Amino acid sequence: MNKHTVAIQFIVITVLALSIYSCKHKEDEYHNVIEKIEAKSKEYKGVTVSSESYFDNIELIEISEDGTSFLIPDRKNQIQSYACTECHSKPLQDMENTDLKKAHWDIEIVHANENTMNCTTCHNPENMDNLKSLTSNHIDFNASYQLCSQCHTKQFEDWKGGAHGKEIGGWAPPRASLTCVNCHNPHNPAFGTKWPARFNTQKIKERK
Amino acid sequence: MSNNNKKWFSLNLNSRKKESNTCGCGNASGGCHSNAPKQELSEKEFFDAAVNASIGEERTRDGFDQVFDVKMDRRSAFKKLTASLLIGAGAVSTSCSVITDDETKEKAQIDWEEQFKGNYKLMSDDEKKATVDRLVRSYQLRTGKTISMSSKNAEADVLFGYAFNISKCQGYMDCVSACVKENNQDRSSQMQYIRIHEMKDGKGLSFDEADDNYYHEVPAEGHFYLGTQCFHCDNPPCVEVCPVQATWREDDGLVVVDYDWCVGCRYCMAACPYDGRRFNWSKPEVPENEVNHNQHYLGNRMRKKGVMEKCTFCVQRSRSGKNPACVEACPTGARVFGNLLDPNSTIRWVLENKKVFRLKEDLGTEPKFWYYMD
Ligand code: HEC
Ligand code: HEC
Ligand code: HEC
Ligand code: HEC
Repeated sequence: MNKHTVAIQFIVITVLALSIYSCKHKEDEYHNVIEKIEAKSKEYKGVTVSSESYFDNIELIEISEDGTSFLIPDRKNQIQSYACTECHSKPLQDMENTDLKKAHWDIEIVHANENTMNCTTCHNPENMDNLKSLTSNHIDFNASYQLCSQCHTKQFEDWKGGAHGKEIGGWAPPRASLTCVNCHNPHNPAFGTKWPARFNTQKIKERK
Repeated sequence: MSNNNKKWFSLNLNSRKKESNTCGCGNASGGCHSNAPKQELSEKEFFDAAVNASIGEERTRDGFDQVFDVKMDRRSAFKKLTASLLIGAGAVSTSCSVITDDETKEKAQIDWEEQFKGNYKLMSDDEKKATVDRLVRSYQLRTGKTISMSSKNAEADVLFGYAFNISKCQGYMDCVSACVKENNQDRSSQMQYIRIHEMKDGKGLSFDEADDNYYHEVPAEGHFYLGTQCFHCDNPPCVEVCPVQATWREDDGLVVVDYDWCVGCRYCMAACPYDGRRFNWSKPEVPENEVNHNQHYLGNRMRKKGVMEKCTFCVQRSRSGKNPACVEACPTGARVFGNLLDPNSTIRWVLENKKVFRLKEDLGTEPKFWYYMD
């Protein structure tokens, strides 16, 4: 071993040592934020703040789907024409083709197409107080997301996780999220176009 | 003002002529009394001049101006400092201040303490508390209005993160409006922390071709919308370049600014690769009835001319468990906010189950702001 290789070895070792050392960032010992999140959340013990006081007066119910539990707003108290059986005391077919005044004249379905969807795809003509699945099982109005999830499985998965839809109250536990019909009118679920909330006239000036 | 300055400069503090040996000690020893007759000013004039030099201009303006138009250039800063010394001295010894009312004295005392407070970053919790209490009192004295100002620290086991769904955002800009209101941003310059970029489908993310100030019905055919704001980088280049450590990263990941420590050099603005920082070229103004009174020292408290500000993930809200105003205002759910350290949080689910990306990831800035699509 000559002097040269010793010197090279020394340099290599120093550089290695330095690079290992310098991986330790100034204040953090992590390479990137993902690593930091993974390491730190192993010791996660919970937080002292809570969203509880920010739900205002929204009535919430707890749901549990495939091991994920969270709160969603109650719907039955919000639907004006509920309970439906106040009028729908007899099966729908007995009500139709009579000279009863049109009651739901304002409801028009703009959702999928006529082959896929009519009123009784979702509503139960035998018992209007419940929604119905494609296989004619009861679905509670408070659990209308189960109706939607039959056809929109991907959106439903994202909603459960929190990537689709919206959390209300705050980020702190417990989690409360809007349900599908808070954002989508089931009869016409698309989001409309509208004018933006603001226009910056100052920027226009700056650009001229 | 200039007149006052003259009077004031004729005191011996700054004068090159060494004719009389008036002390600037505030006559704690009583020595000044004997000199008083020889001065050009009586004690009353002396005190008035000192008060004038410091907050004099403010007495003639409305409450809002008084608090927020603080001169930033070096010369006037120096003048103020010297004047504050005088006032401080005056406030300590009662001899000079018989003539002025208690509130003026208290204001002067507050100004004095504000002038010499340290960097918020280095303060103990008690000092932080004292600072915000002082600011609340100062606002009250000047406007008659009561605000609440928090100095709540970062909580253990919290690291804030944000995700933005570019296939959900419809470009409505409700977030921008909510942000401006929540954070008391200047109305006349129409400052916005958030920018929503309207981008053409199929062109990738080309910010050059994007429009961040559209005004037509949205969403526009063939476009998508992407919002930017401060990304609260875990390795923030803006913090590195600050010569006075007026900006730093808190333990919960928020990158914050001490507006009173900032010298307005704008290095951080230049260092930010994401256009996340904003500068007050003029005195920020918010109509008094629109001021959000729920404030945090590091967040939406009133700023002054010549300092940096930016999105703080609404520290005044987020540290109490709420979502930032933009998240709350968004009608589409495109904005997801939460605690990155909580394995059950929705933000974690998004990071683990959606294809997420960040802007300019190769820079190593480690933004805590991710984008994703459905
Ligand atoms: C004020 C009385 C009243 C209430 C309350 C009411 N309905 Fe009806 N509904 C009617 C009448 C009358 C008809 C039949 C005439 C018509 O088609 O509008 C009808 C028809 C319907 C139909 C069939 C419409 C069609 O075009 O075939 C559906 C579905 C329906 N109702 C659902 C509901 C649901 C769900 C509720 C509860 C959320 C409800 N209704 C509450 C009066 C009512
Ligand atoms: C895609 C499934 C679906 C279809 C199809 C559908 N509905 Fe509904 N409908 C719902 C759901 C879900 C609710 C409850 C919404 C809520 O919670 O606000 C509802 C609510 C209602 C209500 C009470 C809400 C109100 O606005 O008063 C009436 C009435 C109603 N539907 C009538 C009809 C009629 C009539 C039709 C056919 C023209 C129809 N629905 C078709 C899903 C559907
Ligand atoms: C029986 C199946 C079925 C059910 C149940 C159903 N949908 Fe749909 N939905 C469809 C179909 C089909 C489309 C059209 C898809 C397309 O155009 O690609 C659609 C479209 C939509 C769209 C997109 C609309 C647009 O034009 O952008 C939304 C939003 C939506 N549904 C929400 C819901 C909600 C909320 C519910 C529950 C109240 C629901 N759907 C229940 C079948 C269903
Ligand atoms: C916070 C409001 C919100 C909630 C809650 C919500 N959505 Fe949506 N949803 C949206 C928005 C915004 C879009 C995009 C609309 C568009 O592009 O026209 C959307 C789009 C959709 C679409 C169209 C396809 C797509 O992914 O763009 C479907 C289907 C849909 N949602 C189903 C659901 C279902 C099912 C639920 C409940 C499990 C739900 N949504 C809950 C806001 C919401």
